[in-house]
Amino acid sequence: MLNMQNVTKIFRTDLVETRALSDFNLHVKEGEFVTVTGPSGSGKTTFLNIAGLLESFDDGVYDLDGQNVRHLNDTQRSRLRNEKIGFIFQSFNLIPDLDLFDNVDVPLRYRGFNSSERKRRIERCLELVGLANRMKHLPAQLSGGQQQRVAIARALAGEPRFLLADEPTGNLDSKMAHSVMQLLKDINDEGTTIVMVTHDPSLAREAKRNIFVKDGKVSDVTHITASTPEQVASISASGACHV
Amino acid sequence: MLPFSSWEIGPIFRAMTRNKVGAVLIALQVAVTMCIIVNSVHILMERTEQMARDSGIDEANSFYLSSTGFADDFNDQVVIQTDLDAIRALPGVIDAMQINAIPISGGGWSMGLQTQPGAEFEGVGTAVYMVDDHVLNTLDLELIAGEAFQPSDIRWRERSQRDWPAEIIITRALTENLFPEQSYQDTVGKTLYINDDEPVIIKGIIDKLQAPWVGWERLENAMLSPEQTLFSSSMYFVRTEPGRLDELMPAVEQMLADSNKGRVVRGLRSMQETRERTYRRDQAMIKILTTVMITLTLVTALGIVGLASFNVNRRRKQIGTRRALGASQASVLRYFMLENFLISSIGVILGAVLTVGLNIYLVQSLGLTKLHWWLIPVGMLTLWLVGQLAVLGPARRATATSPAIATRTV
Amino acid sequence: MFNYYLRLALLSIRRNPILSGLMVAAIALGIGASMTTITVNYLMSSNPIPQKSEQLYYVQVDSWDPNNPAEEPNEPPDQLTWTDANNLYAAQKAERQVIMATTAAVVEPPSQDAKPFNAYIRLTTNEFFPMFDVPFLYGGHWQASADKGREQVVVLSRKSNDKIFGGENSVGRSLRLAGRQFTVVGVLESWYPAPKFYDVGTGAFDEPEDLYIPFLLKEELQLPNGGNTNCWKTPEEDSFAGFLRSECIHYQMWVELPNEQDKQAYLAFLNNYANEQKALGRFSRPLNNRLSDVMQWMENRQVVTDDARVMLWLSLMFLVVCLLNTVGLLLAKFSGKSAEIGLRRAIGASRQALFYQHLVETACIGLTGGIAGLALAYLGLLGIGSLYGSFADNLTSLDINMVLLALLLSLISSIAAGLYPTWRACSIAPASQLKSQ
Repeated sequence: MLNMQNVTKIFRTDLVETRALSDFNLHVKEGEFVTVTGPSGSGKTTFLNIAGLLESFDDGVYDLDGQNVRHLNDTQRSRLRNEKIGFIFQSFNLIPDLDLFDNVDVPLRYRGFNSSERKRRIERCLELVGLANRMKHLPAQLSGGQQQRVAIARALAGEPRFLLADEPTGNLDSKMAHSVMQLLKDINDEGTTIVMVTHDPSLAREAKRNIFVKDGKVSDVTHITASTPEQVASISASGACHV
Repeated sequence: MLPFSSWEIGPIFRAMTRNKVGAVLIALQVAVTMCIIVNSVHILMERTEQMARDSGIDEANSFYLSSTGFADDFNDQVVIQTDLDAIRALPGVIDAMQINAIPISGGGWSMGLQTQPGAEFEGVGTAVYMVDDHVLNTLDLELIAGEAFQPSDIRWRERSQRDWPAEIIITRALTENLFPEQSYQDTVGKTLYINDDEPVIIKGIIDKLQAPWVGWERLENAMLSPEQTLFSSSMYFVRTEPGRLDELMPAVEQMLADSNKGRVVRGLRSMQETRERTYRRDQAMIKILTTVMITLTLVTALGIVGLASFNVNRRRKQIGTRRALGASQASVLRYFMLENFLISSIGVILGAVLTVGLNIYLVQSLGLTKLHWWLIPVGMLTLWLVGQLAVLGPARRATATSPAIATRTV
Repeated sequence: MFNYYLRLALLSIRRNPILSGLMVAAIALGIGASMTTITVNYLMSSNPIPQKSEQLYYVQVDSWDPNNPAEEPNEPPDQLTWTDANNLYAAQKAERQVIMATTAAVVEPPSQDAKPFNAYIRLTTNEFFPMFDVPFLYGGHWQASADKGREQVVVLSRKSNDKIFGGENSVGRSLRLAGRQFTVVGVLESWYPAPKFYDVGTGAFDEPEDLYIPFLLKEELQLPNGGNTNCWKTPEEDSFAGFLRSECIHYQMWVELPNEQDKQAYLAFLNNYANEQKALGRFSRPLNNRLSDVMQWMENRQVVTDDARVMLWLSLMFLVVCLLNTVGLLLAKFSGKSAEIGLRRAIGASRQALFYQHLVETACIGLTGGIAGLALAYLGLLGIGSLYGSFADNLTSLDINMVLLALLLSLISSIAAGLYPTWRACSIAPASQLKSQ
């Protein structure tokens, strides 16, 4: 699904050259749930940006779903992001002037679905995250956990093969964090590949595999065989919002 | 081509209604700007049209000056005849004559002409030019019916004389005003009445000659009366060969001043300068309005640039998120252009209403004419275009926003 | 505290130089455009003789054509006939009265160096000068006896005294005018009433005439008519005297009436006079006599041109656009500062304090814009001056009133423009901007 070989990313300023990623190697298989941890400044976010095609890299090979993305132009990358990747951000990144319906609608518009198709998907996904009855609310009227669930609905609405989550629980209290985490695991169970960046080791343990990044390199990989998820009551639906 | 759904008209509009103030401000600016611009263009066109009217004479090569005798032994009749002979003899002069008033200059003599005698009938107003048999050549007029004046037709008019010569030449516009039912050729030889009951006969018709007063609604009504005046001042009108005006103007002035010390020669002026002076206010109005339109458009455009830049900065995170969610650079550009287009649309619709309103006010209170309807769509299009051009810069800057901003925590 | 706010304002302006610059430019353009047109309108409609404009009345009597009014709808003619001017003057029924007309004649200066020139002349009666408060540099006006005796005396404008006598005190000297010998009795100070209210017929903003001579010399010297002459009926005889006696209007009359009672009495006198003339077979129209004071007469003659009014309206709308612009830019600017405002609120600044702080900032921008706008208005007036030529000479000067008005206008309008953005900025809750979104 995701294959990085010797990916290198260098940030240059007039004075210094920083290797944010250096000969970074990672292979994520279809259906995996991988967490990425590491100290701050280790290159987690750079990895995430490159994996999500948000940033370009200087050297190495990156295949996403069998496609070499190195030389794609901006429009092709945008299209790929739109079709194959779902994003979940630490600070949710909902658009404050749009209601929930329109927020989930954003990637679908770029996808070019017709309006009834969009409506069906939006309603399904908001239902999945338990917010179908608040479709006309603005993000500011929701709690942080609810906002993140809207963001998840938005990420899923386009049925991406691959979900990238950047500290999705970083701005949430532990109860909400758990519920969001459980939602992600349910989605993964339905077959969506997930890569999640986090600094929280307890969350990292809930994934199938954890990789530890240090100084721009994968320094350690832990395979987790058993997890002990607690069922969280507030999740009303489970599974991805397949349509 | 992207499908229509990616034109986010609905969401843009809904987002706008939740953040009204900025949009309303721009829309209002666009509306008022359009109102001013369209009305200014209308006034401008009206003035230009007025200024473009042809006076009927050879303005480019004509000038005039006047001579006022003061010496006790000054003999007007002799001096005028000598002066005219001398001017006509100058090389480069096509022709010259004495005249009592200058077309489009602002000052002149008017009379009423009527087709029936009697004080109870209303006359048709006309400008009166007292001229001699050189008039057609000097003013470059075309006689389209009847006959020209002969030297024997010309008489001398004393200062307080009240009667009129037996035959006159009038403009086509005047004869059509007097005889609306008849074609102008048939009016030659007809009798008109001046001073209520004094008969004069139409000897000829000229195609065009404007009166001295450009603001007069009957500007093209003029009559030529075959007489030379013995008033305290005599005005000479001179037509030169093309290109010789500048050289002949001072030459004629000098010649007249030198030939007789018992008079003052003054008021030397070309027809072009006369036109310029007459239409100076219109010309000034045109320049002022043009300045107003340009600066106003600039102010509005800068306002749009300012607010759009601010919006782009404010929404950097949002733009990055959209980019991360799959918006191409083109979609981001389109988003801002479309947003501006929607705001402008509200602005120009409001602007159309304001424009018509202001025009109605100007028509009623200041006597302007009604607006051409097509100026409104043209104005709307112009402001749409101004808005799109103004927003283009900030929108392009928005497209440069990196999608990686989305993962940055503020 | 004010100094602190001022410092904060300057800091904030410096932090956003482009946005601040745009705002100053917008206000400056708006103020510049509207001050230019306001000044032109103000000068056009200014009262040229404020100390007594309400005691001076222009006299109109309806001597016109029985079949048509002189001007629609039923306006009396705007000038008098020779006969009426002389009759009304001779009656001496007002505190002061003056009759007048314009003419032109050749002046031959006594010195051989100065060339003869054609001078514009006001024919008038002696009270013209005291009645209109005309200032004298040398000498004074002629006496009533000179009017009656048709004496060849002349009052010079300062400009023509400079031209003819090199600026010396020329009282008592003589010059040839219209072929006759005249004696100088007075020289005026520079005097340029704008509008030239006592005779707006030939151009409300023209310069006053070069020379002033007794009215009856018109008849004596058979001087030609200057200005406008209108006749509804052709003169009945072929002579200069016949022309004077005709129904052609060419003469103006002003009377000075100190109070309302005098005015009513004078109006009664005019009506009485009209009835007498009816008995003589003139004045066949219904009684329609008028006394208009200076400002009423300026209004009646439409001294403020339509073009000036159109420009005034357009420029005021221009100012509106500029202010809308400023509101938008201020909103942008202040909402960019919402984090700072939140912080200040959190550390104890009251809403009021923040309001003042931002108002000071707005006022700074407004005043700067106003001063720049004044400079633009000055340029604008120069521009109008050059476009209109001599017509605008007396219409394009900024006086202290206008300068103050411009500053006040810029201050008021910028504060008005700043109120909403300021209020919005200050209604931010103290904590809302502190946490990251």
